[in-house]
Amino acid sequence: MNMKLMIEQGQVWLYNRIVQMKHSVQIYPHPSWIICTKMWLFLGMTFSLGILIPGKLSLNLQYDGDQVLHIVPETFQQVQHLQHLCSTSMLDLWKPQLPEDIQAGEDLHIRVPAPLVQEVKDSLDQHMISYKVLIHDVQELVDESMPKQRSHRQIPEGYNYTEYHPMEEIYKWMTQIQESNSELVTQHHLGKTIENRTIYYLQISQPSNKPKKIIWMDCGIHAREWISPAFCQWFVKEILQNYKSDAMIRRFLQNLDLYILPVLNVDGYIYSWEAERLWRKNRSPYMNGTCYGTDLNRNFNSSWGSVGVSYNCTSEIFCGSGPESEPETRAVAQFIEKKKTDILCYLTIHSYGQYILTPYGSTTTPPSNNEELMHVAQKAAAALMGKHGTSYKVGSTSSILYSNSGSSRDWAHMIGIPFSYTFELRDNGTHAFTLPSDQIQPTCEETMLAVTTIIDYVDQKYFPGGAVMLTSGSLSLSLCLSVVFTWIAS
Amino acid sequence: MSQGPSPAAELPPSHCLPGRAAALAAAFIAWRRGSPGRGPALRALSRARRQVRPGRGDSTVNCTAEVLYHLGNKNAAPDVQFTIEGELKNTDEADNLFYNRIKSLKNELVAENVPDSYGNVPPEMEPIRALAWAASGYVIWQISTENTKYQLAQIKHVKQVKRSDEYLEFDYKILLHENVSQEIIPWQMTVLWHPQHGTEVTQNSRQPQHV
Repeated sequence: MNMKLMIEQGQVWLYNRIVQMKHSVQIYPHPSWIICTKMWLFLGMTFSLGILIPGKLSLNLQYDGDQVLHIVPETFQQVQHLQHLCSTSMLDLWKPQLPEDIQAGEDLHIRVPAPLVQEVKDSLDQHMISYKVLIHDVQELVDESMPKQRSHRQIPEGYNYTEYHPMEEIYKWMTQIQESNSELVTQHHLGKTIENRTIYYLQISQPSNKPKKIIWMDCGIHAREWISPAFCQWFVKEILQNYKSDAMIRRFLQNLDLYILPVLNVDGYIYSWEAERLWRKNRSPYMNGTCYGTDLNRNFNSSWGSVGVSYNCTSEIFCGSGPESEPETRAVAQFIEKKKTDILCYLTIHSYGQYILTPYGSTTTPPSNNEELMHVAQKAAAALMGKHGTSYKVGSTSSILYSNSGSSRDWAHMIGIPFSYTFELRDNGTHAFTLPSDQIQPTCEETMLAVTTIIDYVDQKYFPGGAVMLTSGSLSLSLCLSVVFTWIAS
Repeated sequence: MSQGPSPAAELPPSHCLPGRAAALAAAFIAWRRGSPGRGPALRALSRARRQVRPGRGDSTVNCTAEVLYHLGNKNAAPDVQFTIEGELKNTDEADNLFYNRIKSLKNELVAENVPDSYGNVPPEMEPIRALAWAASGYVIWQISTENTKYQLAQIKHVKQVKRSDEYLEFDYKILLHENVSQEIIPWQMTVLWHPQHGTEVTQNSRQPQHV
C-alpha cells in the first residue's frame, strides 16, 4: 500500500466528516451530537495527519484560505482542461480520486491551496467552466471541529472536561469515576432536593490506618454559574490522574480526605439548562406555586435574614422562609455539622468576578484568624496568577463585594471550620455567567493551583511530621558519610 | 458596609466602591469609544499589568477614570471623566465591513440569545454584540448608583430596523446583571449607529420581569 493512497483515503474520510460537520452545524443539533461528531473528526484528523510524508509536512498542517470548489464539467474539452489543471497545478482532488476519473456530468470537488485560488478561478473563467465554492476556508472548518489539545488521558475515557455537561451526564460521570477509581473514590448520598433529586458527593480517600482530616469543596450552589461544577469535575480528574506522580498531592492525601460536591443545587442547574439560563436559586415553590426559588447562599444559619437579602420570593436573593428552610441547605449543613471537628477547610465555588473571599459577608468584624486567612488566600491568588496571568482580588465579602447574611462560607467558619473561602471564578463580566467553553481549561488549571495551595498549606500546618522526618533523614545520611570518609582517610 | 467612606479617604483598590465605579467607568468608556469593531474589555482595577485576553493577542491599554456619584440626587447620572493612555486600536476597517454587510442585507437582521447558553457567539454576530456592549454602556451609565454594579449579561433578542438614511438601527432586548441584588433585569434599547457618527441610544426602557 502506498503512502499517497493512505493520505488520500484519510483526506476523503476527513472531507466526508467536514461536509457532515458543516451540515450538522447548520441544523443546530443537541450539544452531545456535536461532541460525538467532533470526536469522529478528531479521529479522522489523527488518521490523516498521522501518516504524512516525513520531512515534507509537519503534523500541524495549515489549510488557511484553502478553498474547495465544486465543478460539474459539461464538455469533454472542459474535462481535459480540468485534468490538465489538476496534474500541473498539484491540486488536491477530493472527488473523484484520480484525474483520469473526471467525467462530464459528474461532480468534481477539488481543494485549491490558498495561493492558487485566484489563478485557478481565472483559469476556469477563461475556459467558461462554472464552479461553486463548497468550502470557503478549509482551516476554519477544521478548527471549528477540533477538540482542544489535551495532554492527559481522560478519566473516564472519553469524558470531555472542557465542555459544560448537563446533570444527567454529571450523574453518570460520578458513577464512572467511582467505578474506575474504586480504590480511592466512593460516591455518597448527601440528601434530596426540593424536587426530590439526589445530591451526591464524592469522597477521595487514600486507604490508611491513620485518622484523616477533611477538606470539603462544593460547586454549583447557584444554578447559572456553570464554570463552578465544571471546576469540581476538573479537580477530581486532576487528583485521580496525578496522585501517584505528584508529590504534593501524594503528601496531603496521606493526611486529608477530599469531599467534593460537584452540583449542590441540582434542580436549579437542570432548570438553567432547560428553561432559563440565568436562573440562580433553587426551585422551591412559594406563594402557592406563583413564585419559585430560594437563594441557597442566603439560607444558611449565619446571621440569617439580617443583611443583603430580600424577604420577597421574587428576588434573586430571597433568603427563604427561615434559616435552613431548604432541603439542599439542610443536606449540606447537617453533614458538615456532624463532621465539623474533622473538617479543616471549607471551599465553595461560584462565578463570576475573580475573587477569593474570606469571612464575613454579614459583618465587617474580621474573623479571629483573619491574618492567616488573608495570607493563605494571597498565596493562592499568586499561584493562580502565575498560570495565565489572571488577576484575583482577595478580601472579605463585606469589604470588597457587598454585605450578605446566610452564606454557607460564613456559616462554616462560624461553626469552627478555620479555613473557609468562597471562590468567584472567571471572568470579570465580559462573558459573566456564560463563560465560553474554551475558557474552561485555563480557568480550571489556574484555579487548581489556588486550591492546591490552600490544601497544601492546611496539610503542612496540621501535619508537619513529614518535614521533621526529612531533616532527621538527612542528618543520618551526613553522619554516615562522615563516618565513611573518616574511615577512608585513616 | 452601611456607610460610605469619608470624602478624603483613600480606598484600597479591592474595596467594593472602586470596583463598582470601575465597572461604571468601563461602561461609560464602552459607550464613548465602543463600536461594532471593538469588543468589550475591563481588566484588573488600578494595576498596570499586561494581560492578554485568552485566545487573542491584544494588549491592554490603561485608562484612568474619575466617577462622581450624585448622592443627593438619585436620578442624575454619575459624572465620568476618563483618560486613555495611548491609542486604542483603530477599528475603521472592521466597522466599515460591518456597515456594508448590514446595508447590503436583503432581509433585516434578526438574532436571539447572544451569547448562547454555552457562551458562544458566532463570528458574524460579534459586531452586533460589540455594538450592544457599547450601547448598554450608555444605559448602565444612566441607571448606576454607588450601590449598583451592572454588566451586560446577554442579548435576548435583536432586530434590525431598516432606515432610508445612512444610519443603522437595531432594536435590542438585553439582560443586565446587577451584582449587588443579583437581579437579571430585562431592558429594551433602540440603537442608532454610523461608522463616522458613533453610537446613539434613542430610546431605552426597563422591561417587566419575565414571569
